[in-house]
Amino acid sequence: MRVLLRVLVPLLGLAVALVGALVVLEVVALSVRPDDGDGLVVPWPQWYAALERTAWTDAPVPGIAIGTAVFGLLLLLVGLFARRPDIAVDAPAPDITVTTSARVLARLVGRRVRAADDVAAASVTASRRRVTVAAEAWNDADPGLADRVRARVEGLLDEVPLRRRPRVTVTVQERRGPR
Amino acid sequence: MTAGVQRPTDPAALRRRATAAVARSAAGERAVAIVLGLVLLVGGTLVALLSYGVFGAGRASRPLLDPMIVAALQAQPLVARFAAIACGLLLTVLGIVWAAHALRPENHPDLVLGPLAAAGDTSVVVSAHAAAEAVAAQAGELPGVGRARARLVGTEAAPAMRVTLWLTDDANVRDVLARLHSEVLTTARASLELTELPVAVRLELDHPHPRPRVA
Repeated sequence: MRVLLRVLVPLLGLAVALVGALVVLEVVALSVRPDDGDGLVVPWPQWYAALERTAWTDAPVPGIAIGTAVFGLLLLLVGLFARRPDIAVDAPAPDITVTTSARVLARLVGRRVRAADDVAAASVTASRRRVTVAAEAWNDADPGLADRVRARVEGLLDEVPLRRRPRVTVTVQERRGPR
Repeated sequence: MTAGVQRPTDPAALRRRATAAVARSAAGERAVAIVLGLVLLVGGTLVALLSYGVFGAGRASRPLLDPMIVAALQAQPLVARFAAIACGLLLTVLGIVWAAHALRPENHPDLVLGPLAAAGDTSVVVSAHAAAEAVAAQAGELPGVGRARARLVGTEAAPAMRVTLWLTDDANVRDVLARLHSEVLTTARASLELTELPVAVRLELDHPHPRPRVA
């Protein structure tokens, strides 16, 4: 979202500036040589005539209006959702701000979970509020595995001073096939 | 205001500066996108409603360029022309300001050291790059930190430091942050003669051993 915003806003700014410059140019040209029948850069007299002929109910008008509204909505959403999805970490002093990303948290959790021998594989998704671990057990696994994985994740969360402690969800699946 | 005679700032302001240093702000761009998006959304919706006859069938069947409006404009040609030129200029300036604001590079302020600057025509300037490199080199030496990068951001009157730490596998986050605060940042403030230097720390993970492509 932020990348899209960084690309879109300069382009939109340039487009707005171009429209403004064309308006100024055409109006000044019309004032300087009023007898010239055509526009200097854009053929606005033809547009003018077309606009006089077209009624609000005619075919392209509602379509263009809806398209404009949809583009506006998308732009609005890009502007609203271009926040940084940072995860806040407690800092040792008030003039220090510490942040990390959900990806880093997920990798930390995944490394801790996979370090033990009783987990065959694990996938982790993390966000500010929730850490979800989908662990894959060997086929001779005992039912207490989910609790052990959860305890390991909670142990990691004790070590990393996150400002908001995420909730931990663990699911365990049995691995298919031989070990 | 030189760096040597800074007044103490309240903690809330320091915290704000530290938070602002986390990343380059996109607040201006977001405001532009939200305002433009709202204008287009409302305008498009109103025109679509008008077109479907919500505001009356008679109004909807009139041409886009209404003869009534054209007559009103032609009654005052000079005013209409100046209004058009003013609108065009406004759009041009606004558009260029938006684009320039979005494209300008981030400010990295150089620091002027205090006593010499106050003495007269001699001043010692520490470039933003040099100050940041010194902090990054020290932070990279901390146990648990694989590598570190620092940038000096903000303004000359209110500089702030952005530090990115790539942690190693055996890092203790609490410990790394405490040592960064007590060793690296204290030294940096002392040597740069700053009473205050808000810091935004970004934690990443180091890749210690590149994976073999063929296992």
